[in-house]
Order: sequence, then structure tokens, then C-alpha cells
Amino acid sequence: MNKISSRQLYFFLAAVAPVGKLILLPVTLAHYAANDLLFPAAINFFLQAGVIALVLLLAKNGLSLGELLQKTFGKIGAKIILTIFFAFFFYAALCPLIEQKLFVQSIFYDTLPSVVTFSSFFIFSAYLCAKPLSSYGRIWDILAPVAFVGFVGIIALAAGNMDFGALNPVGAAGIEKITQGAAFTNYWFFDSAILLTLLGKIEYKRGMAWKGPLFYLLGAAAVMLFLAVFYGIFSEIAVRQQFAFAKIGKYSPAVGILGRIDYLFVFALSLVMAFYSALPLQAGIDCLRQAYGSPAGKLLPALASVAVNIIMLVLTVFFDYRFAEVRRFVGEMLFWVFPIFTLLLPALSPLLKLRVRKREVKTS
Amino acid sequence: MKNVSGDLKKVEEELKKLLPAEDVLTFPFCTERGLNCTVIFADPLTDKELLGDQVVRPLLQFEGKPTAEEISKKLTFTEQRKQKKLETLAEEILAGNPVLLWEGMDEGIIVGTKKVFVRGITEPPTDIAIKGPREGFIEDVKINTSLVRKRFKSENLRIEFVKVGKISKTFVAVCYLEGTSEENVVKEVKEKLSKIDIDYIPDSSYLTHFLASRPKSLTKQVGATEKPDIFCAKIAEGRVGILVDGSPIALTVPYLLVEDFQSSEDYFVPSYRATFTRLLRLFALFLAIYIPAFYVAAQLFKLQLFPVKLLLTIAGSIRDLPFSPSLEMLLVLVILEILNEASIRMPKYVGMALSVVGALVLGETAVSAGFVSTPAIIIIAFSGIGLYAVPNLIEVTSVVRLGMLLVAGSVGTYGIILATGFILFYLVTEDCFGTPLVAPFSPLVGHDLKDSLVKYNLRSLDIRPKTLKSKNKRRLNRE
Repeated sequence: MNKISSRQLYFFLAAVAPVGKLILLPVTLAHYAANDLLFPAAINFFLQAGVIALVLLLAKNGLSLGELLQKTFGKIGAKIILTIFFAFFFYAALCPLIEQKLFVQSIFYDTLPSVVTFSSFFIFSAYLCAKPLSSYGRIWDILAPVAFVGFVGIIALAAGNMDFGALNPVGAAGIEKITQGAAFTNYWFFDSAILLTLLGKIEYKRGMAWKGPLFYLLGAAAVMLFLAVFYGIFSEIAVRQQFAFAKIGKYSPAVGILGRIDYLFVFALSLVMAFYSALPLQAGIDCLRQAYGSPAGKLLPALASVAVNIIMLVLTVFFDYRFAEVRRFVGEMLFWVFPIFTLLLPALSPLLKLRVRKREVKTS
Repeated sequence: MKNVSGDLKKVEEELKKLLPAEDVLTFPFCTERGLNCTVIFADPLTDKELLGDQVVRPLLQFEGKPTAEEISKKLTFTEQRKQKKLETLAEEILAGNPVLLWEGMDEGIIVGTKKVFVRGITEPPTDIAIKGPREGFIEDVKINTSLVRKRFKSENLRIEFVKVGKISKTFVAVCYLEGTSEENVVKEVKEKLSKIDIDYIPDSSYLTHFLASRPKSLTKQVGATEKPDIFCAKIAEGRVGILVDGSPIALTVPYLLVEDFQSSEDYFVPSYRATFTRLLRLFALFLAIYIPAFYVAAQLFKLQLFPVKLLLTIAGSIRDLPFSPSLEMLLVLVILEILNEASIRMPKYVGMALSVVGALVLGETAVSAGFVSTPAIIIIAFSGIGLYAVPNLIEVTSVVRLGMLLVAGSVGTYGIILATGFILFYLVTEDCFGTPLVAPFSPLVGHDLKDSLVKYNLRSLDIRPKTLKSKNKRRLNRE
């Protein structure tokens, strides 16, 4: 499979990554920061964009994360760090997957479906995970226009019912609530860590280090627009509007005439979301592949993907009615875990390059 | 390999040993000057009248030295070759070309008086165009190559013959434009053909299994056409064409999925019309695959997907049905597939009667008896028609439709979305001769979109498709 081209990477950053933030992030932000929900989101987006720039600087030398770690810390050191990253991605996938499960159960079924209904997602995910991470590049070419159409359709249907006045007065929530909102919702922002695993699979092009963050901020702007529309429609009752992106279009007069055409756009976004939700698991398995697998071996990724997805299926079923506790545990009690892997370590990653260079100078 | 000797009797015997079949005949004759000659030929494949008129009759008055050169000059038939090797002579006899032998020869003469059984060049039934050429390939590779050569009066057109099949020894012609087709693709095609170890090749479709990069793939990996104009257009774009003796269907590689949404007529009508029809084909296929699935999923899991008035109509028609929505739809779909299968194989007139029975009697009676609902019949009928908007993909799409229906009946709308994701991912990871199957959409090749689902004006298509990596990039000078 070819490497991920710069265009495919920009498509991911601008169109695919933002879609994962439309399910429960808006309602959680509204819970913490009320009408100031845009600020905590903006803080996380800007932090991510900055770190993404640093990670993309590393893409220039064409080395994978595993190779960089191996050159810096040796084989065993690299294996340990990659295994830790695998554990992190597994942990990072938990909340979005339970969230996705609840979304699917709520939106796609009139009555509560059987707990195994969502298991079909894990069959899909296991298939994706068994494929190399670089094969994702091509699907982003397809998903980007799908996400664009879905997003524009939803916003177009919803825009007529919104009132931006609901966002006033700006800053009313206070800095404490805003920072709390930013800290406790950071588990939706793991895109920089995903990019770390994509190192070595990206076809570097000049200017990528600034264009990448720019495209990410473009996607961020779309999410912010959605947040504004969301709060503009629901205002004070926004905190109760879970899975809002599947609901905000239904108040359009067009829906009354044509039926639930908003579902077409919801389905489009759900398709993109399914790929995005499987990405942390795939990134985790890629870490395992880099740490323990031979480049040509297919058995390890296949077995690992089946095992990981089965475990995740069990966990999502187990935590089905305990999402609030899981969210509180991941988002509030252990809120510091995510910044370590999504901000600190990726931000420090350019140091790997420097150390590699120093070592190469020494050996030569 | 043995060579022919001057002893006519001995050569005859040796050839007879190589070809013991009863339909290989020997015709001995003697010239007026007493030179003994023999023609050995395969009876059913040889045009005996032509052989008598253009080979035997002129030789009867032969007076010169009995050398191949002199005898050859005497023959009035233009297609002749000299050959020393006995095995090659035997092969030519089996191919329908008689071999002329005489006393004192140092080599035999192969005469191309093969009897050619061919049907006329007609418009292929699978690819009918209102505008544009109407010629279609037939089952003879030589005539097919002549149809190609007729369109390319260029020294760069290369037609290389290889024999495939241990018993059938079928002629396969590899056609490409030197300097335009990608060398690696040409090399790979030849390599793959040379490695085929099979007894018999009845049709070009057999070769697709050997040419495919992933033979177990669910998707098509090799393009196919019955029309020489399409075949030549693809070669001109930089593809490699393969013609197989005995098959009217020509193959082309690399294959792109978008090819099957294009028709030859698209190039003979205004570009806006071509774009419209291509998008219409995609839309029809999309509806054909998804409408039955969504109908079932909506009924079973999410009634909100129907507008209220439609929901009321459907509710009225499905009341008292004995089957679940998925079983009902599956039943109608299976009946449609059976009708389809039977009507293709039935004699023409019986087929017409069958479609009347199928459409009117079965459908009407099934609805009035309360076995199936009217919406189900309408949906499947529409789906059946829609699928034929892209006939070249029908083998795959009919299975996908069935799969979608099963998924919809068990998991609902979300299952359809995941199945779509699965299909998309499967398609984008497929490559054919190093070319991505879903190009130019994934990976996105902006330039090639000009002739994909949309069709730009001919003058805009000045560069060959970048996806095919042709060295000769320009095909039209705009100035």
C-alpha cells in the first residue's frame, strides 16, 4: 500500500478528525461552560494544532515512531514505550466507543436493541485493524467529501432555527469553568497521538508542518460552528441534548415536507465516525506491530485485532449502563493522563530526531 | 526436434506418428514430370477447394528443380511459410494449415488455406450504443486483431501472440501501444500469461483468474468489452489489451472501477449529457442496492425514516402479511433472481411468456393473495431495473444487494452503514496491476476526474489518465 499523501493527511485533519467530536462533546462542553462552550473547545483545538505541527516536523526524515524510538532508546526501550502507547490507545478508545454505542442505540433504533447489535461494529473494526495503518490514507480521500456533505447538510437544515444571541454574554461562565471544561473534555482530543503512529507512513511534503495544523484548525472551525449552532438552538436545555447532531436538523421545515431527510446526513457522518472510532484501536495495534511484529507478518496484527476488539466489545457491553461513571473516571479523575500522551509526549517527540542525529554523528 | 529429410515416405510416416488422429488426411499426387508430392491436412479445418485450386493444380505443371524456393514460386496462394521442424509442421496441421511435402525436400511448405468458421461482425448484445460504431468482436482472434489494426495505422501498435492451454493451445493476442502503455504492465501481462498451466481455455473469462492481482477478490480485476472501439480507446489511453481466440470478449488491464460507469456513447454525445447519464447510472445503482435494504431496516428498526404519509400507505399494505419484512423482501428478491435466470436461458418466445407470467400473474396474484405487499414488489422491480444501469457490474452488485438486505434485516440501518464502510475500505485497498481500483477518487487524482463520473469536453482531455502512468502523456494538442 502506498504512503499517506499530504492531501490525504489534510483531509483527515480537516474533515475526518472533527467528526468524532460531534456526539457527546457538545453536551459535555455545555455542562461545564454553558454558553461559553466555544472557549474550552478552542483551547483544546489550538493545543492539538500546535502539537500536530511539532509531530509533522518529524515526518520529514521518513522514520516511523518505532524506528525513532529504537534509534534513541534501543530495541527494548522502544518495545516498552510502544507497548505503553498501545495501552494508551486502548484506553483512549474506550469512551468514544461507549459513546458511539449509546449514539447508535439511541438514533438508529426505535426501541432499545439487543446488546449485541453494536457487536457488528467490532467485526468492522477488527477488519480495519488487521490492515496496515497506511491503508487509511485512501479511505480519507473518500470520507472527506462524505463528511463535508453530511456536515453542510446538517448545518443547513439546522441554521434556520438557531439564535446566536444564546451565546451571550461572552465569558459569563468564568475562567475556572472554561479551564475545567477544557481539562475534562481533553479525552476527545487524541489526534496528535494518532499522528505519532502515522510517522514513517506519511509522504512528507514541504510546508506540511504548518499546513497540517492549519487544516486541523479548519476542521476545528467547523466543530466550533456546530457548537455555536447547537447552543443557539437549544440554549439552556443544551446540557440535556445528547447526540445533538442527529437531532438539530429535524426542526427544519424541509423535514416536515420530505420526511427525515436529515438522516441522510446523519448516516453520512456516522459512516465517517465509524472509521474514526476504530482509529485508536488500529493505532494501538500498529504500535504492537512496530514493537513485536515482523514487517511482512500478517498473523500478529490479525490475532491482535481480533483479541483487542473482543475485549473492547466485552468492555462496552459491561459499561453499557455505567457510561457516566466511566466518563467521570476517564474525563475527570484521570484527566491528566490524556495530556501526557496527546500533548506532552508528542510535543517532546522532535527531541527524538535530535538524539538520532547526535547518535548518527557519533557513530560516523 | 526432428527435421524433415528428403525421403517423402519417411516424413509422411513420421508425421502420421505425431498425428495419429483419423481426421488428419494425406493427399498424394504426382506432377506431370513425375515428382511425387503429398499434402497432409486436418480434414475438418481445411478449405479443400482452395487447397486444390491454389496449391495442387498449379503444381501439376511444375517443371523446375524440386526445391522449396522453386515450388513456393509456383503456388498461387500468398499465405505460405517454409518449415523444417516436424513438430511445428504437425502443430500447423492441427491448426488447420495444410503442409505440402515432396520427394527430395529439405523443408516443407505450410499453406494457410485454413477454413475459417466465423459469424458476421455484428453489434454486441451486451453493449448497444445509439450513437457511435456498431462493430463487435467475434470468436476469431485474427479477425479481432484486424479490427484493432484497422483502427491503429501505427507502427507502435504491437500485437504479440502467445499460446495458452496445454491441449487447446489457444492463441492469445497481447495488444499495446509501444511508448504509451506502461512497460511494467506489459511485462507483467506477458509473464502471467506464460505461467498459465492449464489444459483448456474456452473463453477470455478464464484468463481473468490468472491475470488478477488478487484472484480471490470479490471485485472485478480485469476490464472486459465486446466492442473494438472501446478496446482501442482503452489501449490508446495506455492500457494493455488481451484478445483470446474463441472469445468475443476482449480484456483490458489495468482496470478501474469507474470504467464500468462509462459507455462508448458518452464520447459521442455532448459532455453535459454524458455527465448526466454517468451520474444517473451511479444513482440507479446506489438506489438498486440500498432501497430494499433501507425499506427493511426502516420497517424493522426505525419507522421514522419514512415520511408520515408514506408510512401510512405502507402500513396499510403490509397489514396481515404472513412474513416479516426481511423475509418478504428476500422472497421477492429470490423470485426476481429466479425469473431473471430462467428468462435468460429460455428460448426467446418462451422467455417472453415467462416474463408475462412472472410480472403479471405471479406478482399480481401474490399481492392479492396477501403473500407479499405492493411496496415490496415495486421496490424489488425498481431495484432489478436499477442494477442493469451498470450491466458490467451485475455479478458483484446483485450479491452486494443481497448482502445488504441480510444485514439490514439483522442489524438495521447501522449495519447498512458499517457494510458500506466495509465495502468502501475493501475497494480502496484493491490494486490492479499497480493501479488503485477506485482511482481517480481514491487516491484522488484531480486531473483524471475530468473523465470519470463527470465528463469534460474532449478538448480538456488533452493529457492521458495519470493513473495509468503512461510515458506518452499528451494525447491532444489544444492549439
